[in-house]
Amino acid sequence: MRRWLDRAFLVGTGGCAVLALTVLLGILAAVVWRGAGAVSWEFLTDGMRQVGASGGIFYNVIGTGILLATALLVSAPLAVGLALTLGVYVRNSRRRNRLVMMLYLLNGVPSILIGLFGFVIFGVLLGWGKSWLAGGILLGFMILPTVAVALFERIQALPANTTEAAAGLGLSESQIIWSVILPQSLSGWLSGSLLGLARAAGETAPIMFTATIFAGATWPQGIRESPVLSLPYHIFVLAQDSFDPAASVRVWGAALILLFLVFSLSLLALPLRLRLHEESRHD
Amino acid sequence: MLNCNLLEPDEKIVRKLRSVEYPPVAHPGAKVSVVDDPVSINFPLPTRAGNWSWTRLVSLGFTALAGLFLLAMIGVFLWESLPVWRQFGFDYILGTKWFFRQHEFGILPMIYGTVMVSALAILLAVPLGVGAAVFTAEILPSRWRGLVKVAVELLAGVPSVVYGLLGILFLRDWIYRLLTPFDPLSGDTLLTAGILLAVMVLPTIITLSDDAIRGVPVLQRHAARGLGLTRFETVTGLIFPQAWRGIFASILLALGRAMGETVAVFLVIGRRDNVLPENWYSLRPLLEAGQTLTSKLGGSETFIARADPLHWAAIVGLGLVLMGLVVGITWGGAWLMGREEGPDAPVA
Repeated sequence: MRRWLDRAFLVGTGGCAVLALTVLLGILAAVVWRGAGAVSWEFLTDGMRQVGASGGIFYNVIGTGILLATALLVSAPLAVGLALTLGVYVRNSRRRNRLVMMLYLLNGVPSILIGLFGFVIFGVLLGWGKSWLAGGILLGFMILPTVAVALFERIQALPANTTEAAAGLGLSESQIIWSVILPQSLSGWLSGSLLGLARAAGETAPIMFTATIFAGATWPQGIRESPVLSLPYHIFVLAQDSFDPAASVRVWGAALILLFLVFSLSLLALPLRLRLHEESRHD
Repeated sequence: MLNCNLLEPDEKIVRKLRSVEYPPVAHPGAKVSVVDDPVSINFPLPTRAGNWSWTRLVSLGFTALAGLFLLAMIGVFLWESLPVWRQFGFDYILGTKWFFRQHEFGILPMIYGTVMVSALAILLAVPLGVGAAVFTAEILPSRWRGLVKVAVELLAGVPSVVYGLLGILFLRDWIYRLLTPFDPLSGDTLLTAGILLAVMVLPTIITLSDDAIRGVPVLQRHAARGLGLTRFETVTGLIFPQAWRGIFASILLALGRAMGETVAVFLVIGRRDNVLPENWYSLRPLLEAGQTLTSKLGGSETFIARADPLHWAAIVGLGLVLMGLVVGITWGGAWLMGREEGPDAPVA
């Protein structure tokens, strides 16, 4: 009986694992299988024509790139400030926990609500309409918890003797931060940012009211009323109302490119994260 | 004047001792998690008397800014939705009809949609995800485990719009064919959205539950196996009692994510207003098109609504209700998870 139960347990959980992985890998295979035919050099270097039925996704890639770069620039200083506050300045553990909880909550806010909030603040209150800057700022706040926590964890994992040595040399708190702590924890910021950007790259909801349109934008000029194209919104619109077979092949191509972008960003972060894990084991 | 606290090293040793893995307290109900341990800071920084510096000032300022962002979001949603609360009060939530031209705003059908869709997703994803997590954490050799974990975390990053695309082009048709005996109007149903969401939250549940299960010290496992327990008995008698907190937290975080998911749900749910079952036990609406809080917010009505203050307030009110639901659930999940781990995103 016990042995039977154990065997059933093995088969059951193994089945779950196999089924889950099959479904997930099947998704990947479907995108690659459908999209590979559409991807070509022209697809990447041409603008969109005929409502997605011909041409490529050049400006969508550019637009997504602009949004991601802005998000990176917005999140970096904020994340450094937050991580320093958490890791260095706030010594009271209750207060620190409250801050971490705030980051949890910010991380949990549905992205559509970030979009709605951004629409009210940037679109209406500041009168920007749709603007790449609004989208970048919103995405920056969206990935802030990921970046800040990764950096904070790296700061916590720093060996004590380097900071002690710096303190022994008579460096002030700020000097230690700028010349020891931050340079040493750069990898934490980098891996957090890469993971955050991987998530931001595929987000549609925060930018669809605030930053991106389907057609008719190239490089942004100025801030007000200067939307960009983007990959996820492109896919979102075409998925809804495209009965043109030529467009539906291309939408899979765009999905494949987006997936490629997202996976490269998170794979780039992988070695950094593994190294961090190893070091913290040795501690 | 440097002001190094000489007691600091001692405290470090204390913390180190505290982080040693002790044998578990065996009786049920005992606290075995690390939730109450302080996050340790492992280096003392010299601080000046009356210390302030630009770095400190700017850091604290940025922290305040992040907090302000969250508060401002709640504040804006409250403020902008005020007219609809004034006009309808609690009937806004309990009302069953939404006809914006007649100024009727009741959001119960959308709350119903959100609850049904995410409950379905959790019901489907939890057994599968926790089962898979038990397998990867307990049975799979560690070399394979790393590989599977990387794959699962990569898949957690698949954008929701890609899931939506897959839903529209595959899942919808499958569901339609599957449901032919029930004579559905289309493949856009709450069921479709629920299944799609289940697949979407699966990686989150697997990877976080796996972490929770691995958090149980290895020595205990050896002891249990040494006592002659089978793997099944080890998991049910030793692992689950200790890891349930983390597993439950992963489920709550997945639930929060499912409730807030917009784009994928939007594409496959059919977006039909005012769908409620005739009696609460009926599952018939699962086979019909419906609407969730997020699919309503993501629709074009959000743009139209700007022209009419009450309509706009009703739309923003949806956001406020969603925020309340998700923040509550995330808070619960984060609280359970303790503060040793980072937020929901696979950070560490």
